[in-house]
Amino acid sequence: MGIWRKAVAGAVMAAALPGLAGAQSAAAPRPDQLAFRAIYKELVEINTTLSVGSCTTAAQAMAARLKAAGYPDSDLHLIVDPAHPREGNLVAVLPGSDPKAKAVLLLAHIDVVEANRADWTRDPFTLIEEDGWFYARGASDDKAQASIWVDTMIRLKQEPVRPRRSVKMALTCGEESEGALNGADLLATKYRDLIDAGFALNEGAGGLLGDDGKPVSLSIQSGEKVYQDFTLSTTNPGGHSSRPLHDNAITHLAGALVRIGAHDFPVQLNETTRAYFTAMAPLVDAETGAAMRALVADPTNAAAVAIIARNPTWNSMLRTTCVATQASAGHAPNALPQRAEANVNCRIFPGVPVAEVQAQLIALAADPKITVTPDATTLLTPPPPPLTPAIMKPLRVQADKLWPGVPIVPFQSTGATDGKYLNSYGIPTYGLTGIFAGNENSGAHGLNERIRVKSLYDARDFLYGLVKTYAASK
Amino acid sequence: MPFPRGLLATVLALTLTGAAGAQTATPPAVVRPDQLAFKALYKELVEINTTLSVGSCTRAAEAMGARLTAAGFPAADVRVVVHPDHPREGSLVAVLHGTDRKAGAMLLLAHIDVVEANPADWTRDPFTLIEENGYFFARGASDDKAQAAIWVDSLIRLKQAGFKPRRDIKMALTCGEESEAYNGIEDLVTNHRPLVDAAFALNEGADGLLDENDTPVVLEVQGGEKVYQDFTLTITNPGGHSSRPVKDNALTRLSAALARIGAYDFPIAFNDATRGYFTRMIPLVPADKGAAMKALVANPDDAAAQAVVTADPMWNSMLRTTCVATMVSAGHAPNALPQRATANVNCRILPGVPVEAVRQQLMAIAGDPDIAFTLAHEPNRASPPPPLTPFIMGPIEKEAAKLWPGVPVVTILLTGATDGVHTNAAGIPTYGVSGIFGSSDGDGIHGLNERVRVKALYDGRDFLFALIKDYAMAKGPPAAK
Repeated sequence: MGIWRKAVAGAVMAAALPGLAGAQSAAAPRPDQLAFRAIYKELVEINTTLSVGSCTTAAQAMAARLKAAGYPDSDLHLIVDPAHPREGNLVAVLPGSDPKAKAVLLLAHIDVVEANRADWTRDPFTLIEEDGWFYARGASDDKAQASIWVDTMIRLKQEPVRPRRSVKMALTCGEESEGALNGADLLATKYRDLIDAGFALNEGAGGLLGDDGKPVSLSIQSGEKVYQDFTLSTTNPGGHSSRPLHDNAITHLAGALVRIGAHDFPVQLNETTRAYFTAMAPLVDAETGAAMRALVADPTNAAAVAIIARNPTWNSMLRTTCVATQASAGHAPNALPQRAEANVNCRIFPGVPVAEVQAQLIALAADPKITVTPDATTLLTPPPPPLTPAIMKPLRVQADKLWPGVPIVPFQSTGATDGKYLNSYGIPTYGLTGIFAGNENSGAHGLNERIRVKSLYDARDFLYGLVKTYAASK
Repeated sequence: MPFPRGLLATVLALTLTGAAGAQTATPPAVVRPDQLAFKALYKELVEINTTLSVGSCTRAAEAMGARLTAAGFPAADVRVVVHPDHPREGSLVAVLHGTDRKAGAMLLLAHIDVVEANPADWTRDPFTLIEENGYFFARGASDDKAQAAIWVDSLIRLKQAGFKPRRDIKMALTCGEESEAYNGIEDLVTNHRPLVDAAFALNEGADGLLDENDTPVVLEVQGGEKVYQDFTLTITNPGGHSSRPVKDNALTRLSAALARIGAYDFPIAFNDATRGYFTRMIPLVPADKGAAMKALVANPDDAAAQAVVTADPMWNSMLRTTCVATMVSAGHAPNALPQRATANVNCRILPGVPVEAVRQQLMAIAGDPDIAFTLAHEPNRASPPPPLTPFIMGPIEKEAAKLWPGVPVVTILLTGATDGVHTNAAGIPTYGVSGIFGSSDGDGIHGLNERVRVKALYDGRDFLFALIKDYAMAKGPPAAK
């Protein structure tokens, strides 16, 4: 997910729960789970990075599986922009029995963040099962849900009863990379009829495991922070490095990045995050729970903020964050740099104008030689989709089958997902994976990305039951 | 030389009016027959293409060797040395034997390879010697075939005059100074030491500076050079999703280190060359700068004097080791916390300061134990500055006074690098002195339309010939081991 990783709540609880033990070895997989595993393995092992991979290859492979399961060609749509031949998307449709009922859309992206083999312990494009974990780039983000959707479409096709609502699946490319062609945006604007739906399920929220490995909470994402990159740039006449000056492009940029790195944006709350912290307060340790209650009562309570902000995800839910993610400077080791640039990635609290964040970054840089420019300013700031009974009741029922009584926590995502596009274009989109994780680093977007085998299989069972229920619902 | 000639040229640009770019100079009033003979030799050397890409130093070495044997040098005293892996990068080594076997030899060092030159970019063919408007134009006309031709010509004249030097006079014309893969003098001092062993050596590295009226201002003598060393700074981090940043960020920590390194000034330290330089410069610069130089030489800790003198980047670089961040690369995606951040820090280290000491100091400044500081390339061997003794400086002062009365002789520390780094490191004190005057614009060295004033070349030849004879007969350093 462009945003945020595994179960939101998973990371959220890190501060409050003791360290979680490693994954437990699961029971022997059922035959249907092994069939799913083959799909997952095939999808994960197709490199879909922007640099050298191909979403088109992955889309074709998944289409072939659907066709083999009985989908006619007319219900399979490989959508490839000629200008982006390796960034293909797949849309599949299982027509429902009631033409008037609005469809359910299953959305996932199949592109992945870059992964350098030299930096990884294992080959990032080989699915490796080890000690109860699956390891690979995309093992979690987002090929877990993508392969669950493909598997779900295959199983629904094989069901004796046709669903009342059409079930549509969109596997898209370009979610992870700025500058890539965003498939969800493309489909929502140019192939609206194909993917039109009453609502959509997407990545964006999972479940949290406690230190005993038992589920603590299940999250559903509604709404998200706004993704915005800023480019910091400075130039200099340069010259021969044998005669350096203190006025150096890299030194200027470094100073600005240090100041930005030390800054905390002000704390804010909205209805979703108030609901979140209210729901979480009883689930965490006493000190943290008290801090959450105090925060909801008074967002200016600095002591409460300090306790909650120890957790990076909670911190990100409380405020706009900006972090330096990339830098590039200089052209030769023996020449003074003529240019130094950095990317600062911000996740803007809904409602805060991009220009306000830009002004704050300029103030932090405090250096007239540095320009701060927003990249392709985000215009999409959709309101959170409503958490209606039609969404929440089946969710409660299905959750109780696998995880009886586990609290369901509404959640505003700290990262951005493709739900931003669908929400903007009128398809309410909820983040819901049912994939449970502890508070450890899942490696999504980073090194050694992984997911619990049991969490993946359970989520598959959960989502299949949920999709069936939604598809049958009035 | 790998860096533009005339250290002083840059420095004086602040205090003199800028040298005009006009490429006309007053030619010598009378050209003597011996100068015409020299010109023929110089022309032959310049017109042999010795670029790494398509040329051959070996051909040039053979041509100069043939001239020496034709002048009467026995074949045993003239050697073309070619490394088997580098057939086109040969060197020429020759010796004129001295009468006193206990006297340490002197070595005349020059490189005969040249920087690439694309004829399409030049006004004139770079590999044809063209005399025009009082200049010789060609690639290598200055760097370094001027001095190489003077060395060959000097040996021929000494031989033909029946000159009996007290000490051996050795000459090494080498290849690979301008490029990275193979270095001729490094090969010679390592693998053919007896051929080039000497008590001291004369080399490129310092010239004379003309003002905008082509009047000599100062004659430079290079007594040592800084050591080039790149360091790679690397910090890694588990990374993660940029939507939930943490304070422990690879790029932020690297930035903090670079900001501290950028603000740091290494301590000021004088050596013979820079003490001499700043002493001699006092009357040549504006009064406030002169006063600061005087104070600084008297007390290197004088903060006020430091501030005035180090305001000039070249003076600053002569006074201290410098380290500057030149390149940065960090992160792999705009939406991911950086897993790796690296920087190149380029240092120019004062002679005598160990590379490891600089590395340790950089680590201390950075103050972040998770940042690795590694050497980006094999370090050069330690190269102490050669002592600027009366034995060396006396003849230079004496001969300079004859040709350029009243022009001060100024010692410099080169902030760039020459082949002297290899000979100094091998225990052969090496001094840069050419006696060839040029203007502060660099006269096209390493660039387009490289040129040298005809009169300056002929005068430099006279100066060096006299200097060689002085050194050859002087009582001085004992024989090298």
